[in-house]
Amino acid sequence: MSPLWLRQIGAVLRLELKKTFFSKRGWWIYCLAIGPVVITLLHWLFELRRPGDHHHTLGEDSMIFAGLFLFFYLRATIFFGCMGIFSNLFRGEMLEKTLHYYFLTPMRRELLVAGKYLAGLAVALTLFVGSTAAAFLTLSRHFGPAWSDYLYHGPGLSQLGSYMLVAALGCVGYGAVFLMCGLLFRNPLIPAAVVFVWENLNPFLPDLLKKISIIFYLKSLCPVEVPVPPPFSVMVVESDPTPMWIAVPGLLAVAAILLIYSAISARQTEINYGE
Amino acid sequence: MAVYKKTYRPYEGELTSSWSRFLVIPRYAFADLRSSRFLSLFFIGSFIYPLICALIIYVQHNASALGLLGVQGARNLISINVTFFMNLLGWQSMLALFLAAFVGPGQISPDLANNALSLYLARPFSRVEYVLGKMSVLVVLMSLMTWVPGLLCFGLQGYLEGWQWVRDNARLAFGTFVSAWIWILILALLALALSAWVKWKPAAGGLMFGVFFVAAAFGAVINGVQRTRWGHLFNISHLIGSVWVQLFEGSNKTTSGAVFFRVTAGEELPLWCCWIALGVLCLICLYMLARKIRGAEVVR
Repeated sequence: MSPLWLRQIGAVLRLELKKTFFSKRGWWIYCLAIGPVVITLLHWLFELRRPGDHHHTLGEDSMIFAGLFLFFYLRATIFFGCMGIFSNLFRGEMLEKTLHYYFLTPMRRELLVAGKYLAGLAVALTLFVGSTAAAFLTLSRHFGPAWSDYLYHGPGLSQLGSYMLVAALGCVGYGAVFLMCGLLFRNPLIPAAVVFVWENLNPFLPDLLKKISIIFYLKSLCPVEVPVPPPFSVMVVESDPTPMWIAVPGLLAVAAILLIYSAISARQTEINYGE
Repeated sequence: MAVYKKTYRPYEGELTSSWSRFLVIPRYAFADLRSSRFLSLFFIGSFIYPLICALIIYVQHNASALGLLGVQGARNLISINVTFFMNLLGWQSMLALFLAAFVGPGQISPDLANNALSLYLARPFSRVEYVLGKMSVLVVLMSLMTWVPGLLCFGLQGYLEGWQWVRDNARLAFGTFVSAWIWILILALLALALSAWVKWKPAAGGLMFGVFFVAAAFGAVINGVQRTRWGHLFNISHLIGSVWVQLFEGSNKTTSGAVFFRVTAGEELPLWCCWIALGVLCLICLYMLARKIRGAEVVR
């Protein structure tokens, strides 16, 4: 028999998974996740029609994916997707005027936060890690045996693993940030805009300030480095990437701190739907 | 008075003239906006850059100020030219996007969420006037942020430099004015359309950013993966940048757009494509508004 707290988290998780996965409001998050896969799929199909007439190499495709991952997945899809999923977990219930049902149950608020976070995380991981893997696997598939060789005997699988890890850590980190925003702010857009600007300014910040962000650690873990395109490249402040053994536990620790803070805040939360 | 005597009596007071009825909406909206400390601070903060620009223009024409600062050579460092005015407009336009994302979603969604639209439209007030009224809130605020400071800086430069400079660079004033209006119109329509369709204000604001940034990233993905440049059709900043370059410089292009609205060299789209894409975006927004702004709603 599992302990009570585990069963309570499980119950919240089950309820929230249904709500988050099949939410009408979340259609655009599915579009965000599917978009790049559709493009890479189309690329594969178009290139299949002209065998031996490729205008690019496998190495170029690897760089293209690195750019796609950094500029589309990390800066747009995962950021905005997590904003949509996680800030809606509490704020959505406030709008629907259903949060008091949870608050009236004989359950610790910390467990509610944990359950909701895990549900959001499960959805985000499924969508964004799945999308990353699908896009990576379809982008260069038209190279046939060369692609298989690159994948199984070259750096392909290790790169795929790194990208999936970075996507997962992005969901963990941004998820914790936006869960906190949804819980603490009536309008989560304002903190989200601040975080967005901060994260995008990251390459141009001094070394010390760079480290107070999520994207810096995620970029450090990416297997292929993507230079900032001109004319902004002249403003970039170079800094050494963080080693993996610091970046991964560091990000998890930051997420844990934010979650603990959210859980403590949830204990004092009062509902006033009229506001 | 007995209740049965309370029959319908039409309003007999003076009616607001039909052309100015839409101004009733901004009157109350501005009062609401003033109560938000964050918005007030943001709005005031948005004038820092134009103020710096005005200072640069002033210092450039003031030999004693240059001497006092010990930077006599600074006159050649920053030129007051098309790049200067385009960057001023670009920076202010980006701030206008943020303002539209904060203010725009709160315009229509509360009326729809509380079924209050019929209260507006039951009065001698058309749907167009309603949209115009809501739009004027954004238009006024964004005008004050974009073309008004731009033209003031132009005026200051013209005053200090002389009439000949004004005549030679009249295109800059025209470019600032028209470019800003194009951007304002697109932002206002987009903000209102999203406000009408997304009832949760933060989500509508988030979608504003999404349409701007995510669509641009999506376009970049298409360009990268398919090795094409047509992905820029999804990139509003690229489309706007192309149109601005034409408005500011005509066919003698010397710049690659404004800050935040840059046109990547070698990846330019035909200008007519940019105009059509922006037009289509406006039409989609108008269609979305027409679908939602109705006096009666069928609830299924």
